[in-house]
Amino acid sequence: MMPVNIPAHNRLGWLAGRLVSGASVMWLAATFTFLVQCLLPGDRAQIIINMTSGNVGEAPPGELAAVNAKYGFDQPLVLQYVKYIWGILHGDLGQSYQQHRPVVDIIAEQIGPTIILALAALIAAWVIAVMTTVLIAGRDNMWSTLLSGMQVFLATVPPYWLATILLVVFTVQLRIFPVIGGNSPVGLVLPTIALALELSGFLGQIVRSEFTRVLEQPFVMSSRARGMGELGVRFRHVLRHAALPGITLSGWAIGKLLSGAILIEAVFARQGLGGVLVAATSSRDVPVVSGAILISAGLFAITSMVVDLTYRIVDPRIKMT
Amino acid sequence: MSVIARTSIGRLAIQPNNRKWHKATAILFAVSSLSQIAIMTSGCAQDALDGSLKRGGVIRYGHFQEPPCLFGGWVQQWYLQRQYSDNLVARSEDGKIVPWLATSWTVSGDKKVYTFEIKPDVKFTDGTPLDARAVAENINGWLGNDPDRRNPTAAPYLEDSFESATAVAPLTLRITLKTPFQPLLNVLAQSSQGILSPTALKRGLAVNCNSPVGSGPFIVEKWNHGRNVVLRRNPNYNSAPVNAKHQGPAYVDGIDWRFLSDQTIRYGSLLTGESDVVYDIPAVAWNDANSRFTVLRHITGGTPLRLALYTARPPFDDVLVRLAFAHSADRRAAVELSFLGALPFEANGALSQSSPEYISGLGRSYAYDVGKANQLLDQAGWTEHNNAGIRLKNGKPLVVRISYSSAFLKPDGEQALQVIQQQAKAAGFDVRLQPTNQADFFAGKNLGPNDYEVVLLYWVAPGAEIFRISWKPDQNGERNRFNPSRYQDEALWDVIRKAEQEFNDGGRTSLYQQAEREIVEKAAVVGFTVLDVNLAISPKLKDVWLDRGSVGEPVFYDAHFADKK
Repeated sequence: MMPVNIPAHNRLGWLAGRLVSGASVMWLAATFTFLVQCLLPGDRAQIIINMTSGNVGEAPPGELAAVNAKYGFDQPLVLQYVKYIWGILHGDLGQSYQQHRPVVDIIAEQIGPTIILALAALIAAWVIAVMTTVLIAGRDNMWSTLLSGMQVFLATVPPYWLATILLVVFTVQLRIFPVIGGNSPVGLVLPTIALALELSGFLGQIVRSEFTRVLEQPFVMSSRARGMGELGVRFRHVLRHAALPGITLSGWAIGKLLSGAILIEAVFARQGLGGVLVAATSSRDVPVVSGAILISAGLFAITSMVVDLTYRIVDPRIKMT
Repeated sequence: MSVIARTSIGRLAIQPNNRKWHKATAILFAVSSLSQIAIMTSGCAQDALDGSLKRGGVIRYGHFQEPPCLFGGWVQQWYLQRQYSDNLVARSEDGKIVPWLATSWTVSGDKKVYTFEIKPDVKFTDGTPLDARAVAENINGWLGNDPDRRNPTAAPYLEDSFESATAVAPLTLRITLKTPFQPLLNVLAQSSQGILSPTALKRGLAVNCNSPVGSGPFIVEKWNHGRNVVLRRNPNYNSAPVNAKHQGPAYVDGIDWRFLSDQTIRYGSLLTGESDVVYDIPAVAWNDANSRFTVLRHITGGTPLRLALYTARPPFDDVLVRLAFAHSADRRAAVELSFLGALPFEANGALSQSSPEYISGLGRSYAYDVGKANQLLDQAGWTEHNNAGIRLKNGKPLVVRISYSSAFLKPDGEQALQVIQQQAKAAGFDVRLQPTNQADFFAGKNLGPNDYEVVLLYWVAPGAEIFRISWKPDQNGERNRFNPSRYQDEALWDVIRKAEQEFNDGGRTSLYQQAEREIVEKAAVVGFTVLDVNLAISPKLKDVWLDRGSVGEPVFYDAHFADKK
């Protein structure tokens, strides 16, 4: 393949376009979360009072008024929206209604373990998908059929169900892994597997389909004719071409892994955004939920940009336009 | 010899893969226990297990729910507050009020002035002296107008009768009431009324929620949100209540109070030895837990988890329809079938069985009897039926919407409601279940005046003083938001107030029981089940107890490990 030289102004234009696109996603996410806060049924002040006191029923007007004034709920919606966006532009995602702390602090505390889990699961999913694909693609034997069926099964099984099964079998029954793994490397193993297996099923199926097509290309036959071994052909020449659809999918996968990690963290009692989001959703702590959505949208925008850049590295024929 | 046996058990316990471990542990533990009993009976046990032998280790506790703040009105907050703060008085298991921070107290002849002598040389863990002024500042804050200081438990009990709390001398506190209120000391003994450092309180609610400062046996070191609260031993603790099992600092170095919301994880962590004690045993593991571990359980006093019937509009404004509903389903079978013995049926919807004023057997007359239910509904004028067999009156169907939430009802309870739904249909009730998620429930969804006919709620308390909160009628245009039945009965309220002002124990119990009978007879509430506090404890951990005089908060102050970690 001949490398393609791309003028510098094209690269800058591409980058600027991607940044504007990312900023638009963030603005839309922020507006959406603001609207959700305002449109959800139920009085926000009422929830704050009742969650703190453990009571249900209508709070006295005096108490409601004090909370409405404290959080600015009594101001016009447009003003609330402007303040909200202004806060975000200054890195302020507001105060948690329940924890009485800045949302930024809460998310900063929890997002690390979630990102580690999502990345570990992405790597594990790729390793599983590549290994099974290289072994089974283009072959017609029992193992190929079995692994192919397994990929379909893994792609369809709900991760939280798989997580519960892994938990009961490997921690409570076999006692190979701790029930409460915490943030230790050992504690990362089962959540990573639970999250990665489903994705590996998706990636495996897509990469395998492309892999089978590329195996029939003339340059593959040419490589074989030059005396290269089958595994060498598959790893050096075929995989590079076959991986492109999988890389495309990885952009989507990051979003899926982040949302999946939230459920998996809850099942494994692992620290991360999952526990905080479940608690925030249960207590309608909307600033925390909104903050998590915004951060996820930001991560998604960054990931999309990284995926686009990865195309260029894997296949230099692709232009930055 | 006893100590050697316990150490051996400890060594075995760190071999989780040994399949014979449980059997060996059980045998050794039995031998150990028997030898310990023998020593105890010979009067030598206390000498053998002195404080130094009990010292050390961190309790790994698995709790199921993380509160939004480390103190407050929700019972989940009480459990934590019990570990790091002290109360003015304690209530022992037999219901007697005993000294805690107050060494003694007197009550004036007109029963309106309480004078407490505060224990000397007690300090909050931030160094602030715990004196009469500090206690007065707490109490005045609970009942004042500052929303950051107001106490959502103390306020509904005391705001009608409270006048002031003042320090009349450095260690002498005076509480003055506008009207006598005998349950005052019961209220002061509940963990939500733990005394906090006034210096720390000045930091504001946001800081105090995360790092409250008390004078208790443990200090809140760090709250890792979403994971745990780290409590460490207060080495200078000198203010234990007289009903504690020892005085001085706690034996253990601290508590790792972990939030494990998933019951499989929580109970699993005890099975694998990763937790020393866990809260709320899953119903399916109830028998297993009882066979493997020490199980403590307290059925909380106050209002049981009951069906509150909305009495302010049809159809339950008619007592005959309320009684018919009570007879229309086999609630006992529904509860027993659903909770698998983990929670009992409670026929008495007015008061829970650990309350001293509880009348056993009350409400049992409302047994499952479809014939009786039909007869009562005919009498009430619900005589027509639609095609689905649902009764009609003036063309309106007999619809009963039951609102409930996982915040108050354990998951197994839903099955019990489904049984009631099916059985009540035979009598002509169209029962519709309204499961509501926690956030929506606290926001008031399905709880408005026209949103439900039945709601499932509880309010824990030591005893019948809870009647003030649940049955106070609306007054001067002020709605009692804690009366989900919307039952307005001035005569009942008079009896309750008389009970509150009666200082003779027998007379007061009799008045509260009169109110209890009336509530059950009028079927403003119908019995269902109870709220309980249960712990499964590893055999290695000794002397954990539940504060049964209050509402069953776990107490780790006296706990110690048989084998030190």
